[in-house]
Amino acid sequence: MPTSLIVLIVIAVILVLMYNSLVSKKNQVENIFASVDTVLKKRYDLIPNLVASVGKYMEHEKSLLEKVTKLRSEANKPHISDEQKIKLGAQVSSALGSIMIAVENYPDLKANENVMHLQYSLNEIEEQISAARRAYNQAVTDYNNAIEMIPTNFMARAINYSKKAVFAIVESERKNVNVKELFN
Amino acid sequence: MKNVSELTDFYYKNLFPTLEELEIQRKNLRYRIIIVGIIYTFIFMLILSGIPTASQGSGDFFAFALFAYIGLGGVLYKFLTKDYTDEFKIKVIKPLISAIDEKLNYSSSMHVPQKTFERSELFTATVDRLSGNDHVKGYIDGTKLEFSDLHAQKRHRNSKGKESWSTIFKGLFIVAEFNKNFIGKTVVLPDTAQSTFGDLIGGWLQSKNMGRNELVKMDDNEFEKEFVVYSTNQIEARYILSHSLMQRLLTFAKKSKHPVYISFIGDSIHMAIYYDKDLFEPSIFHSLLKYKIAMEYVSTLHLAIGIVDELKLNQKIWSKR
Repeated sequence: MPTSLIVLIVIAVILVLMYNSLVSKKNQVENIFASVDTVLKKRYDLIPNLVASVGKYMEHEKSLLEKVTKLRSEANKPHISDEQKIKLGAQVSSALGSIMIAVENYPDLKANENVMHLQYSLNEIEEQISAARRAYNQAVTDYNNAIEMIPTNFMARAINYSKKAVFAIVESERKNVNVKELFN
Repeated sequence: MKNVSELTDFYYKNLFPTLEELEIQRKNLRYRIIIVGIIYTFIFMLILSGIPTASQGSGDFFAFALFAYIGLGGVLYKFLTKDYTDEFKIKVIKPLISAIDEKLNYSSSMHVPQKTFERSELFTATVDRLSGNDHVKGYIDGTKLEFSDLHAQKRHRNSKGKESWSTIFKGLFIVAEFNKNFIGKTVVLPDTAQSTFGDLIGGWLQSKNMGRNELVKMDDNEFEKEFVVYSTNQIEARYILSHSLMQRLLTFAKKSKHPVYISFIGDSIHMAIYYDKDLFEPSIFHSLLKYKIAMEYVSTLHLAIGIVDELKLNQKIWSKR
């Protein structure tokens, strides 16, 4: 076999490997985003139940409850972009956080079994969202690294892959969950 | 739960009369072991010199003689120390465990079952022989906990059919109920590749580790340096290993001062701490009243029973009840 043919084959194999690794990184990002989306939906499903259970008691926080309901209906609209999903998710997180703090002012509500159960479920979903978000950020970082680093950056330019944005992690997520604050 | 200094107090105050009694036994035993050891070595040499020199020439013979000497000596040593060991466990280890929590059950002869050890998937080699002792089981703060000394071994056969054994794991094996629901498998191992070969090559080696699931890169630099995580599910691994749990595991690993292997499988957290020795055994050549010896029993027990508190496994703020 002539040497030039061997060199050609080696180059072709390297190109295929580079291409495949880029595609698999892109798909990993998309897969994980789908999971982020699923947990966000799971949380949206809890909102009507939460609003119904606390609405009767929370006279002063009516606007807060209305805001969450509005955000939920916006998020449920078809054809919203990924960026919007991320933005709405962050807004819901902060609104739900405020509601949970407000619950502390109503002893009846705090003792309500239904509300307590909702609190547990919300805690769990928040934790799942945080996990999904961290996984997404790692996948995006791997993908972005591949796009910027030699030699895959040449391939990325050729097939027109561009950098993706990571989720901004809310500062409060980095802190430990304080159980005393939640239940006392 | 009592802290380490309270337990040390308990050891020196409440157990003092027992320890003094055991001290006398220990000194007698030590004397007996030395005497028996000398006689045993003497007899062995005598037998050895009785064998015709012609057959002594080969290296194989000496290897066999040495093997027999150590093996037989080990059996003799076990036999001599058995009564003292049993008494020590009943009179010292058992009360110490009860002092930490009354409802914990202790058995000096049992160990964590083999199927639990295998379920943990911490070590991929097939276990051909599993032994252990000092089994503790019960509930701490409503959280199921179980631990024991374990020694897992693998059998090897060379081309001549000669059998030999190698150690897979030797140390403390702890299993506790985990407070979050999950379905996949997540394994956290001490990071040897990254610390030996650096980030780039080490990271590549980790991702190529056969027999393990997908590599999960964690977003905590300190944790990532100490450990390597493999999981069936990228998201679930991060759901289990929250930022706070990663910090707590780091603290725990530092406190234990030994390599720590952790896995989350089924509904439990499994932890294997590699001590490379049999724990909770009575000291024979050092006084039981020595602070260093006392601390070894107290701190090891406290470490194992303390994981529920340390890792906040009793914190049930998630929907798992």
